[in-house]
Amino acid sequence: MTVVSNVTCPVCGSLCDDIELVVENNRIVKVRNACAVGEAKFLGFADPHHRRVKPLIRKNGELVEASLDEAIRRSAEILAEACYPLLYGWSSTSTEAIRVGLELAEEVGGVADNTSTVCHGPSILSIQNVGIPTCTLGQIRHRADLVIYWGSNPWNAHPRHLERYTTFTEGRFQKSIWIRYLTKLQGLIGRKKAERAAELVSPRKEAMPQTEKVEGLPPPLKAEERKMIVVDVRKTRSAEIADYFLQVKPNMDYELLQAFRMAIHDRELDVDEVAGVPVELIEEVADVMLKCRFGMLFFGLGLTMTSAKIRNIDAAISLVRELNERTKFTIMPMRGHFNVTGANVVFTWQTGYPYAVDFSQGFPRYNPGETSAVDILARGDLDAALIVASDPVPHFPKKAVENLVKNPLIVIDPQVTPTSFMADVVIPSAFVGIETGGTAYRMDHVPLPLKKVVEPPETCLPDEVILRRILKEVRRLKGMRTA
Amino acid sequence: MTSLLIKNGFVFDPLNGVNGEKMDIAVENGKIVEKVNEAEAKIIDASGMVVMPGGVDIHAHIVGAKVNSGRLLRPEDHVKDVEPKTPVTRSGVGYSVPSTFTTGYRYARMGYTTVMDPAMPPLKARHTHEEFNDTPILDKATYPLLGDCWFVLEYLKQDRIEECAAYVAWMLKATKGYAIKLVNPGGLEAWGFGGNVRDIDDPVPNFGITPREIVRGLCKVNTLLNLPHTIHVHTNNLGKPGNYVTTLETMRCVEDLARDGKPVIHITHCQFSAFAGDDWRTFDSGTEPIIKYVNAHSHVTLDMGQVVFTDTTTMTADGPFQFLLYELSGNKWVNSDVETETCSGIVPFQYRRKSFVHSMQWSIAMELALLIQDPWKIFLTTDHPNAGPFTHYPRIISWLMSRKAREKILERVNKKTLRKSLVPTIDREYTLHDIAVVTRAGQAKALGLKSKGHLGIGADADIAIYALNPETTDLSRKPATVRKAFERAAYTIKDGNIVVKNGEVVNAPMGRTFWLNVDAPKAEIEISKILQQKFAEYYTVSYQNYPVPEDYLAVSAPIHVKAEVE
Amino acid sequence: MTIIKLAPKRAFKTPVNAQTITPDAFQEKTMSEIAELHVWEGNRRRKLGELFHISEEKTAGSESLRIEVSGDLRKVRWIGAKMTTGEIIINGDVGMHLGEEMEGGKITVNGNAEAWLGSMMHGGTIEVKGNAGDYVASAYRGSTRGMNGGKIIIHGNVGNDAGNAMRKGVIIVHGNAGQFAGVNMHDGAILIKGNCEGRMGADMHGGKIVVCGHVKSVLPSFTIEAVRKRVKFEGEPVEGPFYLFLGDLNTKGKGKLFIAKNPNQHLSFYEKLL
Repeated sequence: MTVVSNVTCPVCGSLCDDIELVVENNRIVKVRNACAVGEAKFLGFADPHHRRVKPLIRKNGELVEASLDEAIRRSAEILAEACYPLLYGWSSTSTEAIRVGLELAEEVGGVADNTSTVCHGPSILSIQNVGIPTCTLGQIRHRADLVIYWGSNPWNAHPRHLERYTTFTEGRFQKSIWIRYLTKLQGLIGRKKAERAAELVSPRKEAMPQTEKVEGLPPPLKAEERKMIVVDVRKTRSAEIADYFLQVKPNMDYELLQAFRMAIHDRELDVDEVAGVPVELIEEVADVMLKCRFGMLFFGLGLTMTSAKIRNIDAAISLVRELNERTKFTIMPMRGHFNVTGANVVFTWQTGYPYAVDFSQGFPRYNPGETSAVDILARGDLDAALIVASDPVPHFPKKAVENLVKNPLIVIDPQVTPTSFMADVVIPSAFVGIETGGTAYRMDHVPLPLKKVVEPPETCLPDEVILRRILKEVRRLKGMRTA
Repeated sequence: MTSLLIKNGFVFDPLNGVNGEKMDIAVENGKIVEKVNEAEAKIIDASGMVVMPGGVDIHAHIVGAKVNSGRLLRPEDHVKDVEPKTPVTRSGVGYSVPSTFTTGYRYARMGYTTVMDPAMPPLKARHTHEEFNDTPILDKATYPLLGDCWFVLEYLKQDRIEECAAYVAWMLKATKGYAIKLVNPGGLEAWGFGGNVRDIDDPVPNFGITPREIVRGLCKVNTLLNLPHTIHVHTNNLGKPGNYVTTLETMRCVEDLARDGKPVIHITHCQFSAFAGDDWRTFDSGTEPIIKYVNAHSHVTLDMGQVVFTDTTTMTADGPFQFLLYELSGNKWVNSDVETETCSGIVPFQYRRKSFVHSMQWSIAMELALLIQDPWKIFLTTDHPNAGPFTHYPRIISWLMSRKAREKILERVNKKTLRKSLVPTIDREYTLHDIAVVTRAGQAKALGLKSKGHLGIGADADIAIYALNPETTDLSRKPATVRKAFERAAYTIKDGNIVVKNGEVVNAPMGRTFWLNVDAPKAEIEISKILQQKFAEYYTVSYQNYPVPEDYLAVSAPIHVKAEVE
Repeated sequence: MTIIKLAPKRAFKTPVNAQTITPDAFQEKTMSEIAELHVWEGNRRRKLGELFHISEEKTAGSESLRIEVSGDLRKVRWIGAKMTTGEIIINGDVGMHLGEEMEGGKITVNGNAEAWLGSMMHGGTIEVKGNAGDYVASAYRGSTRGMNGGKIIIHGNVGNDAGNAMRKGVIIVHGNAGQFAGVNMHDGAILIKGNCEGRMGADMHGGKIVVCGHVKSVLPSFTIEAVRKRVKFEGEPVEGPFYLFLGDLNTKGKGKLFIAKNPNQHLSFYEKLL
């Protein structure tokens, strides 16, 4: 039995790197510090119901087992022949694999796109319009006395976000009475502390024992308790522990954000309410924003994927930017997949663009909506696809999926997925962050090492190795073609 | 590896006292050697051409978190400047913030072979090194930002210099860094709450230490650790009218720490720190007192930060300065604070000839370069991409070498600049020897890179050959010829391999990453205990996951340094 | 006049980059030279003649050049990009970036056009008889320089973000418009004769937007200024009455937003503020 500590959790963009795993006979038997989602992944990833360890090739309509060499050769043939192949996924693998993936995309003159195209793509387009004032998560822990979650529910989507980085943490300049309260409860409720704590604590802070708030804080720390604001279309679990909850009418976030921009400049609004929120409340909350010492606005898909999309983010970033004229304020997207940030980072340093990169003319070209996966699929522009560590079939629009499976399709994934069922070539790979190492980027762009904790099945190679072999084979084929 | 003989070139090798003499350079196994067997060697006929050591850039933001955010920010900058894939090169984009491969190729095309990235947030060190691994041809290194690290501030406040030195030694190893970088010391911590420091004696909020104490402290640490380069300082108040006073005080504050007439401080992109005036309206050049001081003292080196009139992307760790620039320009703005350590900002920016301030900035850098007598004290940079992309170096070389070229610029600048600038009065024209100093020899010397910047026996065979004949060309009258020659090297040789021929990349091997393996064993053990204790409190990552392991570097080139601290 | 006619030889599956289909590129070339011009089909470099039937017709009169492209051109992009002179007529639906960065001449589409129609154009005229997609006359990603001159007339509907970061020129839409018409606009004029899905003029700095049909709402960052009987557009009166809003206040903008009063009774509460 061995204990591996400081393991980085390969599930969500929070990338908690304090996980402890107990390994016995090449199996993870115990998980410490992880949230329920992380624990489930570490304990259950090898479930044979979701995994096949042999490569498959479709022959006469049936997926049949094949050798790795054969699968790689077939993949290379498909890609080398294609006029407009799509290479999609990348957010659940290591940056090392993504680097090779881009080289492959360039070699075959294809389009490389990562899953931000369907999550925070609009946020990126917006950053390109207006910029972004942001910071690493530790800054929030040390300094933020105001945290806003807009269209995002960390309680469920990023379970340890509150506990490690924001509301339930304390730092050098920002103490938290929450953390003490939780510590007390910890002994009682054990590992589900965070979740249960919320059920015990009443939703409003007034119920907290006041005596703890001023206990021995040195002068710079006597600042007010960290405040939390939640803006969402419905009252989420996160909203229940907030100081302010603003329920915005669906698809009206843009109007509310623009109204906030008016309010922080003391500009009069011609209307009495905006997006279902009374102007008085907007003005009150605007005042809270202006009076904080360090504010942070986290936003999720509730903002990026509703009505105004990139304009929502334009407005949110502009609001935060303008708040910096009066105080310190930052903003950050809540990223989903554990290395979707890393995918953007690698794409950007190699090609100049964070996603949706078209190499068909020999150099990188970028225009989401035109060169992005969903749009290429919806229009049926592609003639082959390679999907790496992603499962678009159940998530993409019907038309896009039809066009995906109509063309030759290669899937590299450690798991059996609905997409791999539809593929022409399936190459099973090692689980990144469990069976193979590498690098991933946290949602705040902090790079962290992923660990290899157990050995993968013999036939499951790391994505990086598989891609390198396909690349080599493509080059061999192309050499033959020109010769 | 094959041998190489470069015959009959006009060789400029200032570190070995060679000034344009016609001679042969022999290369074997990647090193300069006395001679090679001519029958077996590949011969390069360099007759009528200039031969220099490969270019060395002491300060260019080419990789890492901030640079990459700059790339992400500027699709409209990339779309106008693309590099298609070739059989030997990867594709990429420019213009002001090129992608990694393109960066490597473009430097190599100009005959540059060693480049220093000057601003690495330690927490994001892995990112810098990952990008290095995709930056071909060049040898490179990076300077961790240490001037606002809480550990540094705390040790220095308590005057625990040796422990601070041990911490810095650990950080250089953990981040695989090369030099101590200070950016607006103290000001970045203050920016954590949206503040700044006013001058070098303004205490940092919550820490009580002054920028002066930080600069002096890290300067002492640098000496204790025997680091090859000096502290590398971006001054307080950078980019603000009247800041030349701060710059003078910063240089003065370490005057007493110099030994044997050797430099102890490098003031980087000095142009941005040589402003006079009370505000933008009364803006003026503050170069005169700086030039006088530098001419009279030997403990300082500078680099220019030459402004080029173009559309570029400014990016520094100086968060408050970048905010100022955002407010001035109204352009899009990225800010990124890094917990416990530093911050950064990015703003696209256009330098216009007709703007009084911008053209004065052009003039300020020229004044520094032309009026500081000793070329070993000032180096050619644009603080890429802050004052302009590095691809403009050849243009700057032509300005330095030709009064005529400068006059041509001055014809088109703001009229007020023409009245105020000293440049029209300056006759000095750089020789090719001077150029070799400010673009390679001087920079390599200041960096303490012993195998770079010269063509002596044993040096790395990094060589640039330019199709420029100093005997038949009047360099001062032919600035365009000079510029073109330096834009496209006839040959660039890296570690004995021809990587560029006639301005085109023909081979793109991976270069080294230098870092300092500082030997300070005892003190470090002490430090690591404290670090481990405080780490969880200070950071949101684990202590164990913080250091960059050596195998992370594609080609690791540790330089062993023996510290004077036990 | 010389008329050069093009028609696809087959249906295209992957995108075709046809930047070379411009009067500028065709001018003073023989038919065989034109057939040699290169285009991209996906990642394959092809000759124009491989993908298109090309024929020539000469008529009496002027020496000007007209290109007629007919057929299913939905995958064909960048026709007429950067053109400075002459005329292109498209018979059929056409792909993205038609007339991108165009500087002069005229393009007529007898059909629909996809996104990025006339983006960043500086001069000339584009007329679309059918509908147009998103980002008509828009700036490229990250840029604040959209259309800077010329005229776009769309007889059908347009998508979102028409006139994004527009600096000069005119857009006339006879049908309906999506969201964010005139977003980030600096100057120039947009006339929408049909309905508008809202958020017109978001973050606008200047310029003029006129909507004759119904709008969902007006952004809270605009303020009511007056009710006007009519508004002048390209020197011609458009009959109202119109509500005149000013904004976008969030960018300290001086843009004018005219919204027809009669189809927008839900905005009448603004009148009490006048």
